[in-house]
Amino acid sequence: MHANAAIIGVGQSAYTRRPQPGQSTHTFIRDAVVAALADAEIDPREVDGMAVASFSLAPDAAIDLAWKLGLSLRWLVQDSNGGSSAMNMLGHALRAVETGAASVILVTGGDATGLGGYAKVAANFNIVTQLHLAPLGHGGPNGVYALVTSRQMKTYGLQKSDYGHLAIAQRAWAAHNPYAVYRTPMTMEDYLAAPLVADPLSRYDCVPVVAGAQAIVIAHPDRCPDGRASVRVRAHRASFNYDNQEGDGLQTGISTFAGELWRAAGIGPEDIDVASIYDDYPTMVLAQLNDLGMIPGSDLARFVRHNIAERRFPLNTWGGMLSAGQPGGPAGGLNGISEAVLQLQHRAGARQVEHARLAVTTGYGMTLYRYGGTAAAAVLERLE
Amino acid sequence: MNRGVAIWRCVKCRTGFFPQRLLCSRCHGDTFEEDRVYEAMVEEISTIRHMLGQTDWQPRRIASVRTSDGQQITVGLTDESEPGTVIELFEENAAPFGAAKK
Repeated sequence: MHANAAIIGVGQSAYTRRPQPGQSTHTFIRDAVVAALADAEIDPREVDGMAVASFSLAPDAAIDLAWKLGLSLRWLVQDSNGGSSAMNMLGHALRAVETGAASVILVTGGDATGLGGYAKVAANFNIVTQLHLAPLGHGGPNGVYALVTSRQMKTYGLQKSDYGHLAIAQRAWAAHNPYAVYRTPMTMEDYLAAPLVADPLSRYDCVPVVAGAQAIVIAHPDRCPDGRASVRVRAHRASFNYDNQEGDGLQTGISTFAGELWRAAGIGPEDIDVASIYDDYPTMVLAQLNDLGMIPGSDLARFVRHNIAERRFPLNTWGGMLSAGQPGGPAGGLNGISEAVLQLQHRAGARQVEHARLAVTTGYGMTLYRYGGTAAAAVLERLE
Repeated sequence: MNRGVAIWRCVKCRTGFFPQRLLCSRCHGDTFEEDRVYEAMVEEISTIRHMLGQTDWQPRRIASVRTSDGQQITVGLTDESEPGTVIELFEENAAPFGAAKK
């Protein structure tokens, strides 16, 4: 339980599919930082810690960003764990505030690679990708998760339309998120008619790359603006290289710590009011939910047809990255955390889940070879 | 083009790896010798129909396969092999490919 640190503010930049001249990773991060500090009612001079993750900040590093933001710090972290960077940075920041290493920490992430830049990132993701995957024309992560999806369909008896239920439900939530790049309601006909990208994945199974950034502010719960509930983290766990890529990718590292996470949080999966599950692909949303023990009997097909299609379970209520867009994995993960905070503070507007008090958030990423190697999860609580 | 695909076998416990590792994940041995595998069974396939940043992309097939030595690797398929097909492996530079065994 992190009793002496809380998330006290959130903010984001605009999201766009095609950044304009003058817009860069740095300017998107600046916009998110300004928004988060305003939301937290924190003067920039009070910030003494920062964590940042980005695929496109280089050749700048975290210290360059601190300098360009005019922040003089005593705690600085740069994370490189992709889709679980946000969760990873959250854990580091909570511990830093609790141990006194810093008192007000900005956690931020953003990317503005553009589509061509993203293709270069995907083809050069690591040495293994450069040597053994990119020369096949593997299509970046789309190809990797196409194969995982086929495996999941075979293992759990899922149909193509089952993934559609998830994409459609998230699009319905996105209609209420002014920052989402795709807000037009989607039907199953739309979903099934979309062109295939990497069989069996079609357009709406693949997270759309956008430019943008997110930021959150971590400090003592007392620093939360007046009249607003602060959000505390009941438990946080992470996993790195959980199986040496020797499994089938249908489980994530979350499977190694889920029981411990719930015990530390003092609640169970059935107590969760709202969930932000890292959604680079619908396949991996189901895998993470299953690892968390949130799918009764591991019956993925029933869960998606009953709980998701019939909107019984508030999942990725900002539309998820599948509809809002993925401004790089780090900021995409932060978007899920920010949404959970807004929900728990009852500030989510038209997409507010009534009486939301407990949320679970996850991160997943860093495709090492056949699937991702990093995962993390946290249980968040509204403090009255 | 080379026949077969290179794997790296731990000298201590004989486990074979692809891609190459620094330490054996089974026994943490630090010495490997290069070996080759020549056959694999296709388990899942995909056709990559779209590639970000490419306008004249021609669809390519990839597959997750299990080699005769047990490694699960991703290969480019140069024919119309389906799941269950036994393929012959070959490599171009360090990239593994395969086609149905003749």
